[in-house]
Amino acid sequence: MAAQWEPPAPTRLDPIQPDPSARLLVVPALVGCLVALTLGLYGRLHSPTGVAVDIVGFSSPATVKAWLATVAVVFALVQMGSSLVMYGKVPWISAPPWIGGLHRWSGRIAFIVTVIVAVHCLYALGFESFNARVLVHSIAGCLFFGTFTVKMLALTRRGMPGWVLPVLGGLAFALLVVIWFTSAFWFFSIFGFRR
Amino acid sequence: MKIPTPIITLIVGVALAASLLFSSMTAVSAKKAAIAAASASAAANTGAVSTATAAATSTASAAQPTGVGASATTARSPSASPSPTPSLGFVIPPHANYDGEVQGDEGMVAVVVHDNFAIAYFCNGSTQQAWFKGTPHDGKLSMTGLNHASLTANYALGHARGTVVVDGISHIFSIIAVHKPSGLFESIAVVRGATIKAGWIVLADGAQVGSLEPNANSADPSAHAAPKLDVSSLTAQDGGTTLVATPIDAETGSGF
Repeated sequence: MAAQWEPPAPTRLDPIQPDPSARLLVVPALVGCLVALTLGLYGRLHSPTGVAVDIVGFSSPATVKAWLATVAVVFALVQMGSSLVMYGKVPWISAPPWIGGLHRWSGRIAFIVTVIVAVHCLYALGFESFNARVLVHSIAGCLFFGTFTVKMLALTRRGMPGWVLPVLGGLAFALLVVIWFTSAFWFFSIFGFRR
Repeated sequence: MKIPTPIITLIVGVALAASLLFSSMTAVSAKKAAIAAASASAAANTGAVSTATAAATSTASAAQPTGVGASATTARSPSASPSPTPSLGFVIPPHANYDGEVQGDEGMVAVVVHDNFAIAYFCNGSTQQAWFKGTPHDGKLSMTGLNHASLTANYALGHARGTVVVDGISHIFSIIAVHKPSGLFESIAVVRGATIKAGWIVLADGAQVGSLEPNANSADPSAHAAPKLDVSSLTAQDGGTTLVATPIDAETGSGF
């Protein structure tokens, strides 16, 4: 008979003490997940209407969206530049006093523009997965608004670790660029650069 | 209590989204009512679609022969005041063939109705194309194609309007009735195990656009420009293969 296997005596481990400040991110992160999930589920379950907005001066609804997305990316580039200056990552530029205002307002404009496009996407087209482009675009779109929500909520809390805002901002920017490449850039490459 | 500005940003975003969503929803019902009214007035003066579209093409003013018959036999008075119910005041031809460009020069669309069946095709003469099938119901079409492509339209004597979604892009269209040799053409050939499927849309002025799927039976078929369709012989030369096209014909039901 083989000797009975004895489980090793449990060694006592000190519970890992989490950085208390990082815990502040838990609620914003959960809210952000909820936002991304809500958008995805709405886009998937709501049957797309195909109905499109029409803005005077543009040739079609698709061009309206492609240009609005491009405007959002341009403001997002301002976001990126202004935050680099604020964090002192551009050695030859010392942050001017208005840099904070520039950062906030470029972000607000970019966000509002993306909301206009996103409502049309979700209402008229929905969350789709029939090829890699639309799947990546749909996922990135939902994650973008989730990430943006986390960033906004994180801004309201004092005492967060220093990496939180740069990481969230960088993530939101990267997602927006992915969204733009899989929609507006693709559209212009198929139908030509047009108004 | 002072609300932090990032929260205000989020609230403004949500409020904007909600108002856009609400106006989209009301716009959909308003658009439907407008189309019903426009179709009713078009039906009132049978033949003349509208001065704008009639001037655009001479064939537009000639109503579908069967459509005229339908208007003659219909018990509804075309002069009755336009009703929000789309079925009233409409003259809905049982056989109808529409084609034209979508808004913004992004491609062409053709819609063919034959009794209880409808076939539609969108293509941009290149990679963007989709075939649709559906059942007409009271002058309304809600059709689906591969890869969640969809087409919704309202049609009446002389014209059709709607939206077509292909590859995640929605295109708006307002197109007119056309007659032979204009219309929709399809060609299916099996060459070395691959199904070649091509579609052409020939407009009233003779302009045509066509896309060709070299392997139409794959899950996500790719497409490229189709060779030019010879409208008189209904053939097109794709390299060494002669493609024979069939008209998707509203009158005879050919291609259905």
